[in-house]
Amino acid sequence: MPYVPNTDRDRRAMLDTIGAASVDELFADVPAELRTSGDLDVPGPLSELELLRHMRKLASANRTTDDVVSFLGGGVYDTVVPSAVRHITGLPHFYTAYTPYQAEASQGTLQSIYEFQSLIARLTGLPVANASMYDGASAAAEACVAALAVTRKRKILLSATTNPALRAVTKTYLGASGAEVVELPSRDGVTDVDVLGDALGDAAAVVVQHPNFFGLLEPVAEIGERVSESSALLVSSVDPISLALLAPPSAYGAEIAVGEGQCLGAPVAFGGPLLGFMATTRKHVRRLPGRIIGGATDDEGRRGYIMTLQTREQHIRREKATSNICTNQGLVALGATVYLSLLGKAGLRELAVQLASKARYAADALSHVRGVKLRFDGPFFREFVVELPFDAARTKCELSKIAIWPGINCGCYYDDMKNCLLVTVSERHTREDIDTLASALEAIIATGGTA
Amino acid sequence: MGNGDLRYTDTHEWLNIEDGEVTIGLTEYAQGELGDIVFIELPEVGRAVETGDVLTTVESVKSVSEIYAPVAGEITGANEALDADPGLINTDAEGEGWILKMMLAPDADLSAFMTAEDYKAHTKG
Amino acid sequence: MSTATERERGAGNGRGAGSGRGAGNGRDAAGPNERVLEPTIFELSSPGRTGHRLPPLDVPEIDLGAAFGTALREAPPELPELSEPEVVRHFTRLAEMNHHVDRAIYPLGSCTMKYNPKINEDVAALPGLAGVHPEAEGEYAQGSIALLHHLGRLLCEISGMDAVSLQPPAGASGELAGMLIVRAYHSDRGNPRSRVIVPDSAHGTNPASVALAGYEAIEIASGPDGRIDVDALRAAVDDETAAVMITNPNTLGVFETRIHEIVDVVHAAGGLVYLDGANLNASLGVVRPGDEGFDIMHFNLHKTFSAPHGGGGPGSGPVGVMAHLAQYLPYPVAARDETKAEGYEYYMDYDRPKSIGRVHAAYGNFLVAVKAYAYILTLGPAGLRRVAENAVLNANYLQKLLAPHYDLPYGGYCQHEFVLSASRQKEESGVTALDIAKRLLDYGLHAPTIYFPLIVKEALMIEPTETESRESLDRFADVMLAIARESRESPELVTGAPTTTPVGRLDEARAAKDLDVAWEND
Repeated sequence: MPYVPNTDRDRRAMLDTIGAASVDELFADVPAELRTSGDLDVPGPLSELELLRHMRKLASANRTTDDVVSFLGGGVYDTVVPSAVRHITGLPHFYTAYTPYQAEASQGTLQSIYEFQSLIARLTGLPVANASMYDGASAAAEACVAALAVTRKRKILLSATTNPALRAVTKTYLGASGAEVVELPSRDGVTDVDVLGDALGDAAAVVVQHPNFFGLLEPVAEIGERVSESSALLVSSVDPISLALLAPPSAYGAEIAVGEGQCLGAPVAFGGPLLGFMATTRKHVRRLPGRIIGGATDDEGRRGYIMTLQTREQHIRREKATSNICTNQGLVALGATVYLSLLGKAGLRELAVQLASKARYAADALSHVRGVKLRFDGPFFREFVVELPFDAARTKCELSKIAIWPGINCGCYYDDMKNCLLVTVSERHTREDIDTLASALEAIIATGGTA
Repeated sequence: MGNGDLRYTDTHEWLNIEDGEVTIGLTEYAQGELGDIVFIELPEVGRAVETGDVLTTVESVKSVSEIYAPVAGEITGANEALDADPGLINTDAEGEGWILKMMLAPDADLSAFMTAEDYKAHTKG
Repeated sequence: MSTATERERGAGNGRGAGSGRGAGNGRDAAGPNERVLEPTIFELSSPGRTGHRLPPLDVPEIDLGAAFGTALREAPPELPELSEPEVVRHFTRLAEMNHHVDRAIYPLGSCTMKYNPKINEDVAALPGLAGVHPEAEGEYAQGSIALLHHLGRLLCEISGMDAVSLQPPAGASGELAGMLIVRAYHSDRGNPRSRVIVPDSAHGTNPASVALAGYEAIEIASGPDGRIDVDALRAAVDDETAAVMITNPNTLGVFETRIHEIVDVVHAAGGLVYLDGANLNASLGVVRPGDEGFDIMHFNLHKTFSAPHGGGGPGSGPVGVMAHLAQYLPYPVAARDETKAEGYEYYMDYDRPKSIGRVHAAYGNFLVAVKAYAYILTLGPAGLRRVAENAVLNANYLQKLLAPHYDLPYGGYCQHEFVLSASRQKEESGVTALDIAKRLLDYGLHAPTIYFPLIVKEALMIEPTETESRESLDRFADVMLAIARESRESPELVTGAPTTTPVGRLDEARAAKDLDVAWEND
């Protein structure tokens, strides 16, 4: 067996050292009646060649952006990943190491996470970030848990324009907390600020997403102002690429910023691994969940890095910990750090400008198709919602026959948006891709709904 | 505050009672057990507490300790100096490193505390 | 005052005994100024450089001011500016400062740091698997959904559970899902109940997950043999007991021989029995949690099933349940319709009204599941059993070699791991478990888990895994014996360790007081 070095001869010698007659004897504590008799009903063993063939067969039953023109997004984005990202995350020094429990033998992991935290701090404008979370959804949920502890209030206001998965996960996490989760309605595709004002009274947190699920910029300045007049914390879920252009959460009074960082150099991967991030003010640092890496010096004055503020964590504070999180998304955070380092200050801005430009172009192109209109008027970043003359699900089905995936069917998440598509652009799209989508839509509408 | 006047709990808090007000801190012995104190969450002034309630938490690098209310009463003051320098608990646990003051409840029970001598014996056992 | 602690006092701090650093270890003598091994990426930045070229913009560039107005940020975020070779060199130099499994033994107890097969990385990188968007229509993601479904069935067969959700992205997330399933089950019977019993040898995630699920964690003390004290359990269980969380084999590496009785006690009171599957490596093909009587469990695909740990993730923590709890699993669940009523065979089942909800934004850490699936197929049934047998053999061999030189509080045959104590060394010469851990680094090996489980003083928790050769175990034992000797004869070598690592012991107390968690430009 290729992964187990011991041969029968080794086993014999080791058993002699142990003083046991057989390997079976070592399992003497396992009650005989519980032992598995015979082999498990599991296929294999496969050689590498057989495995590769099998996996390629599974892979060939999927379609990717190499096969179709896809405008899917909604939080997970098919981006161009610089080759160096995969090469660095593919170094065994990183991917075959674990949580840096022994700091002196883990400086590479520790410093790279410190740099990740620093990058998230610079993007969000908030000074303290943690070492990563599972995804943007659980990061938002954990932000709510922190807000409940900080404010000692029992109500969370969750904007209906946040990502549906973020809302679902947050409700799961808070399901047993006794806190009430209230959805804030939207108006014109963004959080209704007047309703927010009325609901704020006894809220622990207000959670908004900016740009929101529909791609629209939220009225964050006004939201921040309203929330600042209450004791609630503003939690803002942000698209990290957008922060190259848009005012950071710190600028509008968000005390916790969270977000989905998959777009920073990770593949779409059927939605996992993703990358949650979370940043806050110095005041709330002790409410942060998860690992935090800090700078330190050794007794000879060398700069190094360690896991700090561990008293927040489950291995010390157990049931009173800020969270149960232990393993996070370390390698994906490393990838994001490499990605942001490669693009750099100018590169990230250029990318953001490209996304906004292509989204604008696509919105114009699609809304020129007879029968298609933009559902909302407000400014948007990398995605937008169009309303079709008929069912979005049917449109998707028809277009997929000609290898075009036009976007996410909003009707899956909002009952009153059955005819709406969330269309997402990426730097991968050419003008031709977008024009192709527009003409395909035009053709479908002209024929009354068939491609 | 002279040591002779202090009273001690078996959970390692000390008390100095003067005119219905009590000053509370962590004992010299306890700070030695904990090592470098890196953070203390200052208690909320004005809060009413029952005997045994958690007053606050004290953190060293790898441990977190809860400080319990040895008596019932209302928190009237917290040692703000600990915010900037929690290490005062290490350098002067039973003096400059005091943690909070409380106004005793009328029915506060003061009978169960140890003298310095008893406490010394207690921590040796 | 009551204290929750990881280590004994002072153990985490740099101490004055570090002056024993030899010449020729590549370091300068101590000096007053901070010295830097590798500057941060921000210090390496030089204005105008970039490491990536985007495809050209072939549509009109947007007028940012007109589009976004006051929503724009005043100044761009200060990201570093470097060329690709500079970025690659920086991270490669950082990489070289890490210990990792591809280099040498990494015997962290309960972490199962086994070798990560290379072929699994290759299959997870196949464009047809890595490039599928989670919003792709099921018809166009048949390979991915089939894989999730197949892996779920394989995990059921291996564990004896009836149904699995692969959504939890880590073990702790699986625990939370499991505890929420407990809550949903009892709520359906009219009372969610209020308490969950956890042995004092449990991982810290257990009580933390219990609390997050709205339960009170009740700790029970282990018996003198390190196992659950069944009488103590019986006394603690009542009609408010929602569940008992058990790790089996437990964190001391011993099998709960009375598991049948334990399960009966809990079930008789209407409670559920949860298995923390962190230590499943010892059971593959030998004993199935479902057959032991567990109702719920989580798996750690990054431990038992060889997916790499990634410097702290991504992991994967699928939750498995027996049939009576299947309806509560997180939605959606990968399912199969052999009739192909919709035109295709595999689909994500969202129609689960009793589900606890979602615990992940998509379907969990899919690429980690791919690696676990590849691993199981590569091993086959006999290979899985060989994993457990050799993991247990390796642990017993190492335990036998080390037992004369360190205290072994719980003797007898161990399962996949065992726990030593450095109490003898501490008493004789003041050398602690932490010192021993640091000295191991000097020999180019990784340390065991230390100061855990909490019930063993000066604990050294050692899990070699089945992928270490006999020679590797001999080498580890030789080094541990050398350190035991050094502890007696020249303890300053041990208390002053490490001296050959890039940095020595770091001042954790100062780091916690003067918090530096993000780089700031001067």
